[in-house]
Amino acid sequence: MSFNYILGQLINGIKLGSIYAIIAIGYSMVYGILRLINFAHGDLLTVGVYTMLVLMGFSGLPIWLVILAGCIVSIMVGMTMERLVYRPLRGSGEETTLISSLAVSVFLQNLISMIFTPQKKAFHLPDFLTVNHSLGPVSLSTINILTMISIVVILIALTLLLKKTKIGMAMRACSDNLAASQLMGIKINNVVVVAFVIGSGLAALTGVMLAGEYKTIEPLMGFVPGLKAFCAAVLGGIGSLNGAVLGGFIIGIAEVLFAGLMPSDITPYRDAFIFFLLIVVLLVKPNGILGSSEGGRS
Amino acid sequence: MKYRENAAVRFVCFVLLPLLILIYSAINRGHYYSDLICLFGIHLILATSLNLVNGFSGMFSMGHAAFMAVGAYTSALLTISETQKARISGLPEWFQKFTLPFPLALLCAGLVAALLALLIGFPVLRLKSHYLSVATLGLIVIVRAFLDNEDQFTNGARGITGLPSYSTIFSVFLTGLILLYIMYRLIRCSSYGRGLIAMRDDDVAAQTLGVRIVTKKISIFCLSAFAAGIGGALWGHLQTVISGQFFYFTDSFEIVEMSIIGGMYSLSGGIVGALVMTFLPEILAPLETGIMIGGFQLPELYGASNLIMAVFLILLIIFRRQGILGDSEIIVESIFSKSTYTGIFKAETYRKLVDITKAKLTGKKKEKTAK
Amino acid sequence: MKKAIVSVLLATTLLTSGLSVMADEGDTIKIGALFNLTGGQASIDTPSYQGFKLKADEINAAGGINGRMIEVVSYDGKTDQATCANNAKKMIDVDDCVVVSGFSDSNYALAAGAITQDKQVPFVITGATLPDLCEQIGDYSFMVPFGDDTCAYAAAEYAYAEIGTKCYMMIDQSMEFTKTLAECFQERFEELGGEIVGTDNYMNGDPDFSAQIDKFINNDGGAEFMFFSSVPNDAGPLVLQYRDKGVELPIVSGDGFDTPLVAEVAGAKSYDVFVSTHCSYTNEAENVQNFVKAYTDAYGTAPENAFAALGYDAMDLIGQALATVEDPTDTAAIKDAIEATSDFKGVTGTISYSAESHKPDKTASILELVDGEFQFVTEE
Repeated sequence: MSFNYILGQLINGIKLGSIYAIIAIGYSMVYGILRLINFAHGDLLTVGVYTMLVLMGFSGLPIWLVILAGCIVSIMVGMTMERLVYRPLRGSGEETTLISSLAVSVFLQNLISMIFTPQKKAFHLPDFLTVNHSLGPVSLSTINILTMISIVVILIALTLLLKKTKIGMAMRACSDNLAASQLMGIKINNVVVVAFVIGSGLAALTGVMLAGEYKTIEPLMGFVPGLKAFCAAVLGGIGSLNGAVLGGFIIGIAEVLFAGLMPSDITPYRDAFIFFLLIVVLLVKPNGILGSSEGGRS
Repeated sequence: MKYRENAAVRFVCFVLLPLLILIYSAINRGHYYSDLICLFGIHLILATSLNLVNGFSGMFSMGHAAFMAVGAYTSALLTISETQKARISGLPEWFQKFTLPFPLALLCAGLVAALLALLIGFPVLRLKSHYLSVATLGLIVIVRAFLDNEDQFTNGARGITGLPSYSTIFSVFLTGLILLYIMYRLIRCSSYGRGLIAMRDDDVAAQTLGVRIVTKKISIFCLSAFAAGIGGALWGHLQTVISGQFFYFTDSFEIVEMSIIGGMYSLSGGIVGALVMTFLPEILAPLETGIMIGGFQLPELYGASNLIMAVFLILLIIFRRQGILGDSEIIVESIFSKSTYTGIFKAETYRKLVDITKAKLTGKKKEKTAK
Repeated sequence: MKKAIVSVLLATTLLTSGLSVMADEGDTIKIGALFNLTGGQASIDTPSYQGFKLKADEINAAGGINGRMIEVVSYDGKTDQATCANNAKKMIDVDDCVVVSGFSDSNYALAAGAITQDKQVPFVITGATLPDLCEQIGDYSFMVPFGDDTCAYAAAEYAYAEIGTKCYMMIDQSMEFTKTLAECFQERFEELGGEIVGTDNYMNGDPDFSAQIDKFINNDGGAEFMFFSSVPNDAGPLVLQYRDKGVELPIVSGDGFDTPLVAEVAGAKSYDVFVSTHCSYTNEAENVQNFVKAYTDAYGTAPENAFAALGYDAMDLIGQALATVEDPTDTAAIKDAIEATSDFKGVTGTISYSAESHKPDKTASILELVDGEFQFVTEE
């Protein structure tokens, strides 16, 4: 087992992890403020890519416009979802909102598969995005590189947003104590909408990366990555942006290394191992790796 | 709502009527509607057992499918015939010919599930709220991985076929009633249950009052898993075919949905939730197949019933957050309360009934005239 | 207000379901179509269902069976075992179906089969290929496809003769079908003298195979070709990702892998892919071309995969058997009629049943992916 082999596997893990990381950021944003686990988050990703698929049918549209439109549709769906389902439920138990998000997820999945048939479909981004670059022992496509860069950009931008802007401060206040911030005159609805906008936009963006990398899309494609990203967010400390990214990378790398380094009669236990790892980490650090002490009690 | 307090009405609604339906469907064994009622009975066991954890102890578990799976596989391995066992390679020699009678197998199913709950309960129950939910979801994944890959004991992803179809109306509802009775006594009529509810409402306060939190959590988790294991075993004996893929997220979510729809702070909520989730999809199914409405042919729309179910669920949750029953316990109390049975023999009961009916009728007339 | 909403909802649903029951009248022969039209199985089952419906419509357009129209009764199984089993019961008990048909996965077929056998109604399985499926269910079940053994043996024989003697296997570990297929392939391939130099696995629906691919590149054990045991949905991404990483070896696979998605997804990288499957849509035979044309006309797309043809053949088979029965409500007679099927020429090959075997002794077609289309190579 050479060094290059392990390095290569590590890169594979980072590639996968970066996708989980971006979805997990969206999860974390919403959770941090509303204490809502939004299972429909993964399906926003699906909404985004299907919109792009439709738009790519119209030749002549530049790809950035297609992606932007996908993000906008996904954001709109996210906002509608918030307005129609989650807002009336605000203040009710965590379990109730969790189940309603499952229902939203079922709704979106079925709607998409009714419109676009349940068949897997090919999804091709322009070649300049998917071409492979060899960097020494590893090879990365443009979209991989863009994904990794975008994580850094997103993290910096969101941190600035949270630390420097008024709405960001309001968001932090809300995540500390929703009721108190309302008393202080913060318009919670605006804050929540902003969180959903960012979350859904990021979800659609991940959709491009996921679909561009693997070149296929299907109505149920968002669920498993969504679930893994959710685990990532929990692992890293849900509510914490850095934690979400860290969790995403840990899960991606652990998954790939487990599949890559273990003998093949153990590798089917990969997902079991991931969850086992998650449980162990939670036992040692009940609020996740970077979570604030408040999270576990919530 | 005076009717509810009348013993005769109670007896008819909550004891006699269900009993008649059950007896009727027990006669038509194996028929679609009869088996649907069987399935309802199993859902009832699963949903109420989930309510024990989610509604009465303040923890939120989503891993019921894991316990179901363990129960179903245990009972299957203990009851299938020798020829079926021959397909499974890794079973020890003595086990090949070893079968247990159904009630014992059912008990074992429950016990093994409870044992699993005990094993994972100690570490996992230290987690709170969503963290516990994730850990229990993880349990499903881990159990599934074992079922799919330990071919020598579980026949792998191929699953086990040829389970004897022991799940009849009689066995399902008898088991259900026994379990429900135990839960009811435990929750509503004992200091254990009061302590549990106190713990749910405020665990620190409960602890200072001398409620042993860890013991309570573990024991209720095990009890719930016990019932889930039995439910899973009954499910297996109803379907006669089991495999790992049928005890996964969707199945677990379905039970959680039942428990929330019905109202998870109430045992009877589980029953109502099971009722809705078992029969509503069946009512909606014809909508998808392109039926005629008023001479107009609707197109086939597969998936429409799922959409309607999802919308219904969302609306229900929005307009009735506590679930249909909230935390009231009409049905369970009526079934298990002595007055329901003694009351019907007293003349007073009927006099009351007449009075109530009269009052209702005249009351309505008065309203009408007032308008 | 709340109550009003709920009651209106309930009333509409009850009303519609009531109306639908009233609509079911007339002198028709009812046939149950059991398919998972939503959920994870939908991408395989939907084409099969469409093929099934297509043939039913054709039969009706040609005047029905002995003057009686066919009515296909279908409920969505939702990729959920309990729902599938319930649907089977409902079709038989409530809708009085005389034959039921469907399912492309053995787990679901077994669940439904337990019921059809119990109620003594013929069950024609469209796509599930577990070799001993009919023995497990009982004498009222019939398979339209060949078993995994036939498919895998054909692949093994072709691969051993034409491609190479050292094989690396990649198996979807979470499905019954893929595991059985891989086992059968290995059994025959080693019997012939070939060598399995390594195996690896993944879970159904995984998006990313890069870990497995790097592992293979790092230690390919001198493999001369690869055998993928996968469901159709994973076929495209598998081929693409292996080719992307520079794995040039020929790829061999079993039924289901022959989805157009492989070429669509992998584009120019989809070369040297060999599939052992039920039928070839590029086969020049008249019935095959007629089917492809009819399917395309009816649904606007070419048949998505081989399961479409299997659904079509299942209905055809049922129709021909029903035509020989005097009383189309006598399920035992229908069972005997189906059992008496011999030399039935379907799109997916020739089917004959006997009292001993309800699994057709079909041949598997070996196809090669050339310029984005699966071309017929040989029959084994």
